[in-house]
Amino acid sequence: MFYHNFKYAFKTLFRDKMLIFWTFAFPIILGTFFNMAFSNIENSEKLDIISIAIVEKEENEIMKQAFETLSDEENEDRLFQTQYESEERAKELLENDEITGYLVLLKEEPKVVIKSNGINETILKYVTEEIMQNTEMISDIVEKRVQESMQGYPEGIYNMPNVENIYEDVMKMLEDNQVEFKNISNSNLSYTMIEFYTLIAMTCLYGGILGMTAINHNLANMGNVGKRTSITPTSKGKIIFSSLMASYLAQLIGLAILFVYTIFVLKVDYGTNLPLIVLLSLTGSLAGLSLGIAVATLIKANENAKIGILIAVTMLGCFLSGMMGITMKYMIDKNVPIVNLVNPASMITDGFYALYYYDTLDRYFLNIVSLLIFSGVMIILSINGLRKQKYEAL
Amino acid sequence: MTVFKTFLKVLNKCKFSVILNTVILLIFAGVNMQASDTQMNFEATKPDILIVNQDTNIGITQNLTKYLEGNCEIIAVKDNEDAINDALFYRDVNYVIYIPQNYRQDVLKGENPEIQIKSTGDYQASYAEMLLARYVKVQNIYVKELVKQTDNKTLADEKVENEIIEKINQTISKQTEIEMTSKLDTTGLEKATFYYNFANYTLLAGAILVICLILSSFHEERIRKRTIVSSMKYQKHNRILLLGNGLFALVLWLFYVFISFFVVGNVMFSMQGIIYMINSFVFTLCALTIAFLVGSIINNKNAMNGIVNVIALGSSFLCGAFVPVEWLPDTVLKIAHILPSYWYIQSNELVKTMEEFNLETLKPIMINMGVVLLFAIGFIIVANLIERKKRKIA
Repeated sequence: MFYHNFKYAFKTLFRDKMLIFWTFAFPIILGTFFNMAFSNIENSEKLDIISIAIVEKEENEIMKQAFETLSDEENEDRLFQTQYESEERAKELLENDEITGYLVLLKEEPKVVIKSNGINETILKYVTEEIMQNTEMISDIVEKRVQESMQGYPEGIYNMPNVENIYEDVMKMLEDNQVEFKNISNSNLSYTMIEFYTLIAMTCLYGGILGMTAINHNLANMGNVGKRTSITPTSKGKIIFSSLMASYLAQLIGLAILFVYTIFVLKVDYGTNLPLIVLLSLTGSLAGLSLGIAVATLIKANENAKIGILIAVTMLGCFLSGMMGITMKYMIDKNVPIVNLVNPASMITDGFYALYYYDTLDRYFLNIVSLLIFSGVMIILSINGLRKQKYEAL
Repeated sequence: MTVFKTFLKVLNKCKFSVILNTVILLIFAGVNMQASDTQMNFEATKPDILIVNQDTNIGITQNLTKYLEGNCEIIAVKDNEDAINDALFYRDVNYVIYIPQNYRQDVLKGENPEIQIKSTGDYQASYAEMLLARYVKVQNIYVKELVKQTDNKTLADEKVENEIIEKINQTISKQTEIEMTSKLDTTGLEKATFYYNFANYTLLAGAILVICLILSSFHEERIRKRTIVSSMKYQKHNRILLLGNGLFALVLWLFYVFISFFVVGNVMFSMQGIIYMINSFVFTLCALTIAFLVGSIINNKNAMNGIVNVIALGSSFLCGAFVPVEWLPDTVLKIAHILPSYWYIQSNELVKTMEEFNLETLKPIMINMGVVLLFAIGFIIVANLIERKKRKIA
């Protein structure tokens, strides 16, 4: 009897177009949108080469040289794309947003003209300042050295310090002076991954619709099939359990398809630990299933309203775990972490995040345990609701 | 009048779900606005950094932290490594600087101690690294220059340390003259654009959801048949329905604009603000016709939910409502041309950098609005054609 009911429950689920859309097609469509929208974000955030213009009002060889080096195409640390223009033309280019800003070279101190504040503008200003500062530092040190070497020899033409040598020494010191910092950040820093994790979370929770439908078929107050099922001599537990197993299986098939699609087509990185990814998916789906059962049994409404509620709850959960803006998840994590304790979507998302970004597994297992507790609570509530249901009239 | 009265009756009947949906969508917009504050404020010229100082905060070390505090935005994060990693992942902090133990002593010994960093690799992080590197370079030069001369390779005394600090500060405090040509409130406009771009989702989802809900009542088999046999022309019937739905869309738009005065602030009272409002109004008309079209194609309330999400989320992702337009890949933007949302969002982006208001500058915006209106007219025609066809079948 278990297998019989399992088989038919499974078949019924797969014939429901609505269900198939939500659990199979919708996540894939959404994932494709994510991929289209986010594929470029992280590259756009890197520092681009900045277009600037230089207006040569007066000679300033040091400035000019420095900017030439920084605009050299062969320079690995190239920062700028420089063009020499008249002041009018530069103004025009700035107005049309073709350049970030322009530099007016004056003998003493150059002037930077920009349109508004921004990171590129800041860098232009910063580099100009750095060159000026270096010039000043050089002259400061050279002057000091010249003075010192003169102090040792109070009189005499022979001992006039060789300014050129000193200058070259200082320049060399400046050139040799390279600093490097040791980067100890994790290389897995691609935050758009969170979007895809919320997508998996959404699919797990939408799987609840399958569970809900399966339960509805067994509820006498939800339709004729339910009435017929309720009067069978088979034990209720057996029927419900087999229907749920069928919907869990259907849910996992949907999830597997999504995983295949995201991994091979969209190139999403879930970390390297495959067994743990599977474990998280299984527990996540279980949470979705139990949520669906709970909504189906505890809320007395027609099927459409139940589906509406489940979708709304799922969407809200995903919103709070960062689907419509990744910062949302961080805000919750940082300020109101208690929300995460009741939001299965964020447990699933956070679990994947922990696998992807963390070296240790504490956080991952915390999420697994939370999901199990969530599922447990939902199932106990549902069992209480389902037990000993009797209807005087329907 | 009968049709309009029925319309109001239906609206009244499902007021609960109408209000719920509208409120949820508006909250989405508002909350998202607050949460994304850090993310969209990429114009801020100070990078967000975190200093982990393992040395005593005196002398040279103190001067370094002071310099960083002056040039960067120091973000408060809980004092544990996980919190720092999270902050880095979600871009709350772009750059973390670990000042090692005994940094001050080692610097004064001329040892150039290694500084560890964590970096997100984006432009803010690059800029923070430039700032830090400049400081360390200047510091190295002066340490070399001053310490060497007092006593070889031993710890310099306080006098020398103070002299180094003074020299460093003197060098790095030199600034360039900056001239800014634009007087726009960039941050405010950025915010307003973000808010009104998000309207693409809110207005579309809100309009389609509610209008389809109402229309589906009119499309019920028996009601349809009754309407068809009545003497009223179907065009008139449709027109009144459109008008009634338009009323709802208008209310939705008014709410959205009303909230914008609170979340966006001053910008809304400027010329730009008025254009944002007009532009979103034109788009509301278009959203209304889309909703009308969807409503005339689909009668199944369940399928509606799916369609709403695909249309609203899809166009939002593809056209730049959630992700800034300049970060979208070119191919995606090309595809987006076929959606009205694209033209709506383009107008918002144009307003963002607009300084002068005359026929010349407003022309592109008017063209965009024209395109959105053309889309609207197209949708209405298609909706009417479908209606006519359906009547014949019925």
